[in-house]
Amino acid sequence: MTSEFRHHCITPPYLLERLLKDVDSEVRQAALNTMLTTAHLRGERAVRTAFPGVATPGNARRTIYDCRNTTSLPFAVLARSEDGPESADVSVNRAFDMLGKTRDFFQRVFARNSIDGHGMRLDGYVHYGYEFANAFWDGRQMVFGDGDGRVFSDLTGSLSVIAHELGHGVTEHTTGLVYHNQSGALNESMSDVFGAMVEQWTLGQTAGQADWLIGREVFTPQIEADALRSMKAPGHAWNTERFGKDPQPDHMSKYVNMPDTYEGDWGAVHYNSGIPNKAFYLTAATIGGYSWEAPGLIWYEALKASNSETRFQEFADTTYRKAGELYEVGSAEQMAVLGAWQEVGISITGVSAGLARARTRTVGQNGDATAAVRALTAQVQELSRDVAALKGRVTAGG
Amino acid sequence: MRVTLATHGGLAAPVLAGLPPDVVDTHALPESAAAELSRLVAAATEAAAGAPEPRRRAPDAMSYSITVEEDGHSCVLVQSDTDMSPEFAALLRWLKEHAARE
Ligand SMILES: [Zn+2]
Repeated sequence: MTSEFRHHCITPPYLLERLLKDVDSEVRQAALNTMLTTAHLRGERAVRTAFPGVATPGNARRTIYDCRNTTSLPFAVLARSEDGPESADVSVNRAFDMLGKTRDFFQRVFARNSIDGHGMRLDGYVHYGYEFANAFWDGRQMVFGDGDGRVFSDLTGSLSVIAHELGHGVTEHTTGLVYHNQSGALNESMSDVFGAMVEQWTLGQTAGQADWLIGREVFTPQIEADALRSMKAPGHAWNTERFGKDPQPDHMSKYVNMPDTYEGDWGAVHYNSGIPNKAFYLTAATIGGYSWEAPGLIWYEALKASNSETRFQEFADTTYRKAGELYEVGSAEQMAVLGAWQEVGISITGVSAGLARARTRTVGQNGDATAAVRALTAQVQELSRDVAALKGRVTAGG
Repeated sequence: MRVTLATHGGLAAPVLAGLPPDVVDTHALPESAAAELSRLVAAATEAAAGAPEPRRRAPDAMSYSITVEEDGHSCVLVQSDTDMSPEFAALLRWLKEHAARE
């Protein structure tokens, strides 16, 4: 699939963390203070000077086009550009703003410059088709319909949906998870993970405060449905007389087998995504705090370490390995990942179920150590944000 | 002539899966509407012959299958959001507009 060359101008946040853990507490605090001061006061100028030539094609500039209810993208008209005036059209402005929030999330949280990591421009097409109740990523741009007004509303009304679509672009440019069967369900799940994180980040919600719904805004008020999907409770986002009940599984024992055809949703990709979705939710709920910090970083690093054919088991193993690398082997974070996958019916390779339960309990009882790790993690995340923001200004061509 | 539209996949695939397909029978239509539908079906069928195989799977793109039954023959046209001919789009729009009026 798509290959990618990544720039690593600055030490990745997780290496900083490891560095901080390796020294004694006094030195660690001093190092932390120094780094924070550097980042705040001197880093920006110093780093800018150090990388004068770092400019990115496109600079993740947003352009919104109006399809005027046709299905032709080439004939869509320009509705708003990065530096242009606001539009009179609310859908145009919403798509523009939400693409901006999603772009900022990737930049500031993961130091990722746009979809491809190289400032790829963000083109959004609104008012696609006639009563088009859908949104999709076509490999180059995001396309949004108006909904039919009876069941579905305008798809630009949902930040989690817009971030979900942009997330497909990110996945395509990292692993290219093939859109069928388990790799396709993982692709779908990653987009929901990004969708939930972008929304929670925008609202400043912790994992405990968030409702973990995807597409809360897509149904019209007449429809009695909470959202398209629930990551916290897959299978419980809707239950209506008209469409029946949300069929998403939340455990491997309920895995949905459908044919790998357009009629079978390419092997039930929008169904089985419920399983890894639930694992991410459980990880975030167990670790506590913000989903985009330790849980998001673990998932994002695992995505980058995956390939186009990665299935659930391999991905679960990778998140476990990454949690050990990013934090510590046996850390609260790694135990949270282990327990989450186990709860959805996936045992991490090489870790026996009994051992997993015992270790999870041990970590749970060891309150002081867990709290200490959390506090340190919070400090490091703060530092990571500074570094990411700094890197963002550099890679944005400043 | 009987024309059936089934919609698959997309962001809300499991929701749509619970909905029945839309069926239009030209016998139940006014003459002008029946003629218009026949013309749109003929154009979409002609455009589909010689159309390339569907492109790679675009995440969340919907697929549409339009089944046309007439005098014991049946033919199915399948296209998706990323590889739709203008003729197919016109037929799809007519069918959706018709379903909305029902
Ligand atoms: Zn999707």
